Amino acid sequence: MSEIDPSGAAVLEAEDITVQFGGLRALSHATITAHSGVITGLIGPNGAGKTTLFNVITGHQNTVTGAVRLGGRDVTRLGVHRRARKGLSRTFQKLEAFNSLSARDNVLVAAEMYGAGTGPARLADDILERVGLADVADITVGTLPTGTARLVELARALAVRPRVLLLDEASSGLTEEETAAVGDLLIQLVAEDDLAVLLVEHDMSFVMNTCSQIHVLDFGQMIAAGSPEEVQGNETVRAAYLGTGS
Amino acid sequence: MTTAAPLLELRGVRAGYGIIDVLHGVDLVLQPGEVLALLGPNGAGKSTTLAVASGQIEPSSGQLLIGGREVNGARPDALARSGVCLVPEGRGIFPNLTVTENLRMMTFAGTSLSAIQEKAYELFPRLEERRRQLAGTLSGGEQQMLAMARAMATDPALLMLDELSMGLAPIIVDELYSQVATLARTGLSILIVEQFAKTVLGVADTAAIMLHGRVTRTGRPDEIAEELTAAYLGIESGGHQ
Amino acid sequence: MRTSGLRPSLIFAILASLGFLVVVSWQSWAGNTVTLDSLLVATIAGLSVGSLYAISATGLVVVYTTTGTFNFAHGGIGVFSAFLYWELAENKDGIGLPRLFALILVVLVVAPAIGVFLDLILMRRLRTADLVVQLMVTVGLMVFLLTLTGQLWQADQARSVGFFWEGQGFFIGEFKVTWHRYMVIVVAAAIALLLRLLLYRTRIGVAMRAVVDNRELTALNGARPGMLSSFAWALGSSLAALAGILIAPEVQFSPANLNDVMLIAAIAAAALGQLRSLPLTVVGGLLIGLLQQHNAQWLSHGADWPFTRLAIAPIVLFLVVLALPQARLEVGRVATNLRPVERTTNWAEGAFGSVALIVVAIVLANGWLDFGVWDPGPWNQIALNNGIAAMVIALIGLSLVPLTGWAGQINFAPLAFAGFGAFLFLKLAGESGNALWIPVVGLLCAPLGAIVALFAARLSGLYLALLSLAFALLMAKLVYPHPKIFPTHTFADLSVGSYTLDSRYRFFLALIIVFAVMMFALVLLRRSRFGRRWVAMQDSQAAAATIGVNVILTKVIVYATSAALAGMAGVFWAISKNSIDSGRDFELLANFEIVLLMAAAGLAMPAAALFLSFRFVIEALGGRLDEAGSFGPLVWFLDSFLAKFGPGLLAIGMVVNQRGAVFEMGKGFAPLLPWRRDARRELALERERGRVREIGGLGLTEPFTGEALLEIDHELGVVDDITPAEGYRHAVHPEVADV
Repeated sequence: MSEIDPSGAAVLEAEDITVQFGGLRALSHATITAHSGVITGLIGPNGAGKTTLFNVITGHQNTVTGAVRLGGRDVTRLGVHRRARKGLSRTFQKLEAFNSLSARDNVLVAAEMYGAGTGPARLADDILERVGLADVADITVGTLPTGTARLVELARALAVRPRVLLLDEASSGLTEEETAAVGDLLIQLVAEDDLAVLLVEHDMSFVMNTCSQIHVLDFGQMIAAGSPEEVQGNETVRAAYLGTGS
Repeated sequence: MTTAAPLLELRGVRAGYGIIDVLHGVDLVLQPGEVLALLGPNGAGKSTTLAVASGQIEPSSGQLLIGGREVNGARPDALARSGVCLVPEGRGIFPNLTVTENLRMMTFAGTSLSAIQEKAYELFPRLEERRRQLAGTLSGGEQQMLAMARAMATDPALLMLDELSMGLAPIIVDELYSQVATLARTGLSILIVEQFAKTVLGVADTAAIMLHGRVTRTGRPDEIAEELTAAYLGIESGGHQ
Repeated sequence: MRTSGLRPSLIFAILASLGFLVVVSWQSWAGNTVTLDSLLVATIAGLSVGSLYAISATGLVVVYTTTGTFNFAHGGIGVFSAFLYWELAENKDGIGLPRLFALILVVLVVAPAIGVFLDLILMRRLRTADLVVQLMVTVGLMVFLLTLTGQLWQADQARSVGFFWEGQGFFIGEFKVTWHRYMVIVVAAAIALLLRLLLYRTRIGVAMRAVVDNRELTALNGARPGMLSSFAWALGSSLAALAGILIAPEVQFSPANLNDVMLIAAIAAAALGQLRSLPLTVVGGLLIGLLQQHNAQWLSHGADWPFTRLAIAPIVLFLVVLALPQARLEVGRVATNLRPVERTTNWAEGAFGSVALIVVAIVLANGWLDFGVWDPGPWNQIALNNGIAAMVIALIGLSLVPLTGWAGQINFAPLAFAGFGAFLFLKLAGESGNALWIPVVGLLCAPLGAIVALFAARLSGLYLALLSLAFALLMAKLVYPHPKIFPTHTFADLSVGSYTLDSRYRFFLALIIVFAVMMFALVLLRRSRFGRRWVAMQDSQAAAATIGVNVILTKVIVYATSAALAGMAGVFWAISKNSIDSGRDFELLANFEIVLLMAAAGLAMPAAALFLSFRFVIEALGGRLDEAGSFGPLVWFLDSFLAKFGPGLLAIGMVVNQRGAVFEMGKGFAPLLPWRRDARRELALERERGRVREIGGLGLTEPFTGEALLEIDHELGVVDDITPAEGYRHAVHPEVADV
């Protein structure tokens, strides 16, 4: 795991984000950054606003205040697909694979948004190989087991050659073994491709083992940020998770 | 009592949504008159466990037993009329019905409206003041009281509470849990799912920790507390079975 | 999702409709003097007809909110009931029941029974089904009911339903207003009051409203979802029957017409209530009735706009769907990952199929195999005409494959696009019939598709289906009947250079070849990046956007492609018919039949379009057997049953077979092909899952009864031990705990 270079500019910055759903304030002036070559974790109790923050970053959700910057450029007003073309990629909490397509076509359809000729097909096969899906490349994703389908989603997210990868609950529905394999893969990818990864996760051992930087969200506000050890030792964080009783 | 079967038992239950399995073999036992707290980080499968126990999701394998009898495939309304009461996560009320109409819905489980009204208004006098109001216009705490009224007024055999405290002020949470404690003293069997553990551990006889769609540890609340922090924050405590 | 604070589309829609109204009124003013009396009379008439629309729409909404099924057969139930009423009360040779008695019998006994029956055998299985399946089954049921009515009460006899009180009434000034119309208004008001009491004062009514809020919680309270849904279907059918019977005296009494009048107005009114609010739905029904009657009173559209009165409800529907914010529509729809899974046709398989079709055409053309088709006997002419009709309809069906089958955009208006192609060809090629214009027609049809796409891009699911329905009707009732669009010209025979397809036989062979080429082109298209992107977009729009797909642009492209295909097919369609009968050719039912058969065959498969020849093949077969003689019952079965009821029944059959017949046949066959390793693998996976399911489901047979609970309590001893007597009282009460 690489340490964060404090002087290095963040490739993704979401600053001072506020989101309002009717009378409910889902996010309140929340700020988060992600750096190239680093896996950043975003944790917090249920309903804290983690997925909402992801939706703000990818453009699925409008904000009341705040700005999203990618590589230093403001993308707050761009639509989802235009942010994607600037190198922002994501997976979904609720599996959103292209179920009618084969695993290869899932990856290919993403790859060919960014290349022509035989390039995308080769890239797709490379990625499938790397994620360990070569064996099931021709199988329709809708018939694959959940864990495998989640890997297909990950492979698809990688096929757009992202600079920033957002993973929403990559481990949900996976067995412990599969979760560990995903963690290893992420660490490898970040090290080799200088990718920035931001992940929301409920499996804390996965977060603690994989992330080098962790942000904690509670009731729409950032309550802590730091290394895994710092976050584990933080009293505010413990209280947020265990409730306010004595 | 000694030969009694558990009131609720899950044996190796696998279940989920569509083809996504969330529960990977859950084993859980609730004895008659016991208060069991089911704890664990989000996404571990706690709510899905309750959905299985209330008949909303049929296990894809494994057994759901109530009173020692397998009831896989029983529909939720049938279980409800038979005395299984689930107060679901996020306000178990009908927002576009009035308070009275909400209480009227509770009569499907077999108690008369007048009995329900009497009990509900006695426990939560504020509901009587607002009986003509649409439930969706009540405050969060009042909504949760209305949801709890079903548990209090319909005399269920098994009560299941999902995230009762979510989004509520601590003082209201305390009030609700004091009602739960009252119910517990009458000998009602209660299964409580909570993310905020400390509120529950005071009421529970037993606590179980869920991780990755399995129950990984069961024990007395005081035994569990430290492990729970570990489970939530991913600290390797070495205390796992 | 993005939400806009301002709603420019709403403002635009309001301004556009006001402007439209002013212009139309200005242009078509009939010159009748406006008096208080005439205003009053038109208003009463409008309120009366509108009340009936309101009653009908209310039934539609009650069923939708309670069960989550949008019932396209709603009008069909009303039509069947109205004809049954005619039989009981109006038929001179019938049993001649008193009108009131017959009305009560049909509305309160027969119609609710039909509703409950439908719920039990069909509708309950639909709640969690894919939206396309849900739509197809109810549309199929509608077609079935209309066919059944048409068969039982054949059009060989003029029928009418009389007004109550034999059309007597009293005069307002010089205008007579029948008692019937007053009664309708009174009845509608009474029904509104009764519904209000039902929904607010009875437990079952409260439960029906509770379902709208939260279906799961309703069951957790112990209310029986099955009973609620049966009750809603009974109530909905009853209201449909009442509206159908009371509106029958006001309209031309034929199944198709009565259905058009009732269904479209009801859908438009329900859409105004966002398929949820009963008061707004009633307002919608009254509004449509008033618009229609005032239109009839004040405006005269002349020969250029012959069917404008029939376009009023579709116009309202169109504007409402575009302008209103979409409420959360899919009540109780469970999102699953079990959506039908399809496989791309291997290009070699596609090529093989196409070449095979072409070879057949060549063999026939050269007479190498003599099936007697050359012989211009009377039957062969019929067979040839059937063959032509079949290939033409299959060509139109192909246009749905990319749009609906791949991109998931429901389209009930294939003939509206086809008609545009026919129109363009008539303008461009004129009398020459030059086939080289056909590709140009395709190119020019694409923009029409793109325009529809811009309207449709924001919509999904049911609202998209309703928009396409409104579009089909607007084109059919407003645009195409205009005499400048399809003058009474006949279409000339197609020609390429000096070669003219001057015989029906040559035309037929040309159609086969065109179809084969188009089919192969579609197979290739599906395997291209466009095909993949369209399917991906259907599977998940959100995910497609996050890999960089511009969803709106992609929809525009797929609509344009489909419109181009349909437009080109439309040219062949028009030529095959010699001339377009703009009053009948674009009927809703004709559109429905294409969509239904395509869906039943499998929308994602180009080859499935051949299935559209179904009716024509059966009719030809029936004709052949009839000629040979002595096959009476079989001919009856083919001609009168299968050919007529087939489309509806096949669509209804999607309840069981949701992926379409061609898909299922292919799935059974594919593992046998040596190169289909993937099919064998998928089969193995499926078997594996089946096994797990069998083991897990063993306990299913054991019901959870009140007796069982008594036993449990006895075993536990809880009654004595834990609680004072009443603690578990109802838990052990058999009558409340039965399952």
